[in-house]
Amino acid sequence: MTDMINTDMKEINIATDVLVLGGGLAGIKAASEIAGSGYKVILVDKNTELGGQKGSGSFIGLQEDFKGLQDLRNQINADSNIEIFTNTSLVNAMGATGDYTVSLSTEGKTVQYNVGAVVVATDCCVQALNEKYGLSLADNVLTQSQMDELLSSEANKEKLANKTIAFLVGLGQEGNPLVMERVLNSVLAVQTIGECDTYIYAGDLKVASNGLERMYKESREKGAVYFKLTEQPEIVENGKTISFFDSVARRNIEISPDIIVVEEEILGDNLNGEIAEMLRMDVGPSGFLQKDNVHLFPVKSNREGIFVAGSTRNLSGLPSAFTDVENIALEVKNLLGNGKKIVPGNKAVIDEEKCVICLTCYRCCPHGAIYWGDKKAIISPVACQGCGICASECPMDAIQIGGFTDDEMVEKVKTGITSANGTPRILAFCCQNSAFEAGEMADIFKMPLPDGLQIIKVPCAGKIDLDYILNAFVAGADGVMVMACHPGNCKSEAGNTYAQWRVNDAYRMLEEVGLEKDRLCFVCTASNMGSGFSDLVVDMEKRINELGLSPLK
Amino acid sequence: MSIENKKVMVIGGGIAGLTSAWELSRFNIDVELIEKTPFLGGYAIRYCCKATDECRQCGACTVEEMLKNVVNEPKINVHLATEVDKISNNGKFVVELKKSSYKPAQTKQGVVSGYSKNNSPLHVIVDKESYNKNPDACPEDAVELDTMGFSGKLDVDAVILASGFQPFDAEKKGTYGYNKFTNIVTGMDLESIMREHGTVVRPSDGKVAQKIAFIQCVGSRDERLGNLWCSQVCCPYALRMAEKSKYQNTDVEATVFYMDIQNAGKDYAGFYEKCKKDFRFIRNIPVDVFPIENDSLSMRYMNEEDGLCINEEFDLVVLSVGIMPGPDNSKLSDLLKVALNEDGFFAGIDKLNSTSTLKDGIFLAGTVAGPKSIAVSRAHAGQAAGEVIKYLGVS
Repeated sequence: MTDMINTDMKEINIATDVLVLGGGLAGIKAASEIAGSGYKVILVDKNTELGGQKGSGSFIGLQEDFKGLQDLRNQINADSNIEIFTNTSLVNAMGATGDYTVSLSTEGKTVQYNVGAVVVATDCCVQALNEKYGLSLADNVLTQSQMDELLSSEANKEKLANKTIAFLVGLGQEGNPLVMERVLNSVLAVQTIGECDTYIYAGDLKVASNGLERMYKESREKGAVYFKLTEQPEIVENGKTISFFDSVARRNIEISPDIIVVEEEILGDNLNGEIAEMLRMDVGPSGFLQKDNVHLFPVKSNREGIFVAGSTRNLSGLPSAFTDVENIALEVKNLLGNGKKIVPGNKAVIDEEKCVICLTCYRCCPHGAIYWGDKKAIISPVACQGCGICASECPMDAIQIGGFTDDEMVEKVKTGITSANGTPRILAFCCQNSAFEAGEMADIFKMPLPDGLQIIKVPCAGKIDLDYILNAFVAGADGVMVMACHPGNCKSEAGNTYAQWRVNDAYRMLEEVGLEKDRLCFVCTASNMGSGFSDLVVDMEKRINELGLSPLK
Repeated sequence: MSIENKKVMVIGGGIAGLTSAWELSRFNIDVELIEKTPFLGGYAIRYCCKATDECRQCGACTVEEMLKNVVNEPKINVHLATEVDKISNNGKFVVELKKSSYKPAQTKQGVVSGYSKNNSPLHVIVDKESYNKNPDACPEDAVELDTMGFSGKLDVDAVILASGFQPFDAEKKGTYGYNKFTNIVTGMDLESIMREHGTVVRPSDGKVAQKIAFIQCVGSRDERLGNLWCSQVCCPYALRMAEKSKYQNTDVEATVFYMDIQNAGKDYAGFYEKCKKDFRFIRNIPVDVFPIENDSLSMRYMNEEDGLCINEEFDLVVLSVGIMPGPDNSKLSDLLKVALNEDGFFAGIDKLNSTSTLKDGIFLAGTVAGPKSIAVSRAHAGQAAGEVIKYLGVS
C-alpha cells in the first residue's frame, strides 16, 4: 500500500522561544537545559523566589540538600537567554505549536510572548492524612513534613532522644514509593539519635524504587519494628496508645508512643487545573497533566509542543523529574530546530467554501491543533497529527486528510471488495497504530487469515466515517470490521471512542434496512498481537458464514 | 543544530538500546547498534498486550513501534549476533567486534524465531543437527546463525551501554520445582503463552487454566539470595495478567501470594481496588509446591487471619520472576572499566544523573543500571541520548 502523505511539502517559520511554567528544581533545570541548546527561555513562577518548596530535600527523595541547586540558580540568573518572572502567572494562551501567544500577569500588568513550545514543570504539594486516622495534629501528632523540618536541625533533633516514635504509612492511602522513601529517610535519621524506639505501622511497603529495599533492611537491622497491617490500628485518645491484634501471635500489641508521624498524600500543584484549561491539556488520574496513555510517555501531552515534567505529569521524585527534563530538551530541539520547519501542506486541509464555521472541528480535535483567525478555521500543520477525527466529524465534509481523502477512501472500499472466491468478503478498517500492524504480523507469521479479508489502513480509527462503513455494505461487503486501539491506547486519545459511536450509529441504520447487526463489528487490538488479530478476523468469518453472504450483492 | 561525522556505539538492542539509538539518529548522529542475539527487541518485544476492556499501560506495543523506527532508519547500522571483544581509547573509542557466542537454551527443531514482524531475519537456524533431522519443518526464509555476526574494528565517539537484564532463574528456588513440573511457569513463560495462544493455557494439556496462583518476589527482595532490591515490574505484570485472564474467562480464580503489592500504572489505587474485587490476595509466600493428579499442583501457605497452614490446589502456578543484573555485566564492567554497584547493576555517577558514568564518553541506558519498566527504560534511554548529545557538543 502506498501512502500519499507528505508529498506536498512546504517550509514555514516557527517561533523558537520556550515558556517554562514552574520555577522549582525541575523548572530551573528545564530552563537551563533548553537555554543551553540555544533557545530563549521565559521562566515563570508563582512564588517570590525560585527553587520550589521549602524542605524539599526529603520531598524529592534526596537525603542531602541538592548540592547543585545553588550553582544551577546562579547559572540561570546569569544566563542572558533566560528571562525570569517570579510572582507571575499564565493568564491566557492562544495558537498552536510553533506559534503560541501567551499572556503573563506580572506586577499588576500583562505581558505577551510568542513562543514555539511550552514546558509545564509545576511542583507537587502535600496534604496531611491525619484525619484519615482520626487524629488531630498536636505536639505529639506530627505530619511527615513537620518531622522532616524537625530532623533538618541538629538542635531540634536532640529533642527526639529517648522517645518512642510511631510512623503511620500506607493505611490512610494506597501509598507509593515517594511516600515510602520519606518515611524510610526519617526512620534512618531518627536512628542516628540516641535511644529511640521506632515502630512503623504500614500497609503495603512500597519499595518499588531504587535503593528502598536496602533502606528498609538497614532500618530493621538498626532496630526499627515494622507492623504490616491490612487495616488501621486502633488509636486511642489522639495517639496515646496504638494497638492491633496480631493474628499469628494471637495477642494484642499495644504501644504508647511519644510521637506519631502521619503520612502525607502527594498531589499535583493546585494551579494544574487552571493551566490545563488555558493550554487545553487533558487531565489524567489524580489531577496530573498527562493522561495514562503509553504513547505519551514520558513527557508528551495531548498537545504537540506542550511538554510535562516531573510532578506535573505523575508522582515523581527529583531523579525522574531530571530524566523527564533531559527528554524534554531533546523533544524541544527536535520540534523547534532552527526555527524553520518543513511540513506537509496537505496533512489536513479545510475547504473554506464548504466550511460554515460551526466549531465542530475545533471542539473535537484532541491535539488542540485547530484555532480561529480571520473568520475561518485554521489547522496548524505542525500541531496536527493527521488523525482525521475532525474530517470525519465535520458535518460539511469540509476537511480532507492527505493520503486519506474521502474520494481515495471510497475508491479503496470499492476496489477492496471485488476479489473473493465465494468466501465471505470482509472489509477491515484498521488503525495504522494497532490493527494494521497486527494484521501484517499475522500475515508474516503465517497465522490463519480469511481469504476474503481486505484490510484498509486508516491513520486512526477516528477517521472511519459512517459513510465508509455504509459504502462498504452497499459495495457488497459481507462483513465490515472496525478495528481500533484499546480505550486508553489511542494516540489521539478519543479516536477509538468516535469510531465506536459511529459503529453504533451504523447498527441503527443496518437495522432500518434489515441487514443483520452481526455483519458489522467494532473490536480493539494491539500492534504486537498478531495472534489476537487472527482470532478476531477468523471469528468474524465464522459469524458471516453462519449468516450467509450479503443479500445486497 | 546537528553535527556531521559523530558516531556512537549502542550495546544492546532491547527497548533501551533501540530508544537511545533512535533518539541519536534524530540528531543526525550515526549509530552502530550491537546486539548479541540474532534479534532486536530484547525481552520486552516478547511481552503480550495486557489490555482487558481497556489498555493497562504495560507499554509492550511501544516496543514494536520503536523497533520499526530503528529498522527503517538508515543512520542506524545494526550488527546482530555480535559482541564487543575489546575496547580502547585514543581520543576516540576503538572497538573490536566479534561474532557472539550466542547459544539459546531452547530451539524449535534447531530454529529460533523472532517475536516481531520487524525482525529480520525472522527465523535463525542455530542448531544444524536438529534442523537437518527435519528441514521441511523450517520456515523457508530461515538464515543460518553461522552466516551472521560481524568481526572488525569501529571508531566511535561515545558508547551507550544498554545490555539489559536477565530474568531470575527460577530453578535457583528449587522448592518450587520449576522445570520439574510442567504447570509451573515463570512470568516470562506466561507472556509467551499469552502471545501464542491469546489466553492462559496449561503447558501440560493446552487447556485454559481455571485456578491460577501467582507467587510474587521470586528472586527479588530475597535476603538469602542477597538480592536486596524490588524488581518493580513483577507486581504490575502479575496483576495485569491476572486481570486479563479474568476478563477473558470470568470462571478464572486467581490468587496472588505476596509480601507487599507494588503500584501498577498512574491510576494504581483504582486498579488495585478492582483487582481486589476480581481475585484473592494472600500475604504469604508459599515455600513448597507438590505435584498432584492431572498435573495440578498443591501449595502450602499460612492463613493470615488465624495463622494456620492450608493446602490448596492450583491448575497453574506462575512464578513472578524478577529483574537480575545482566549475565555479561562483570565482563562488560572489566571491558569498559565502569564499576558495578553492590547489587551487580552498573552505577551511574549519582541519583540525579544515573545515565552518565565516571568514565567519560560511556553512558548507561535502561535496566543495565537497575530494574525498570518499559516506560521508565524509554525515559532513561532518552536521558542517556540527551547526555551523549551534550557530551558530543551537538547544538
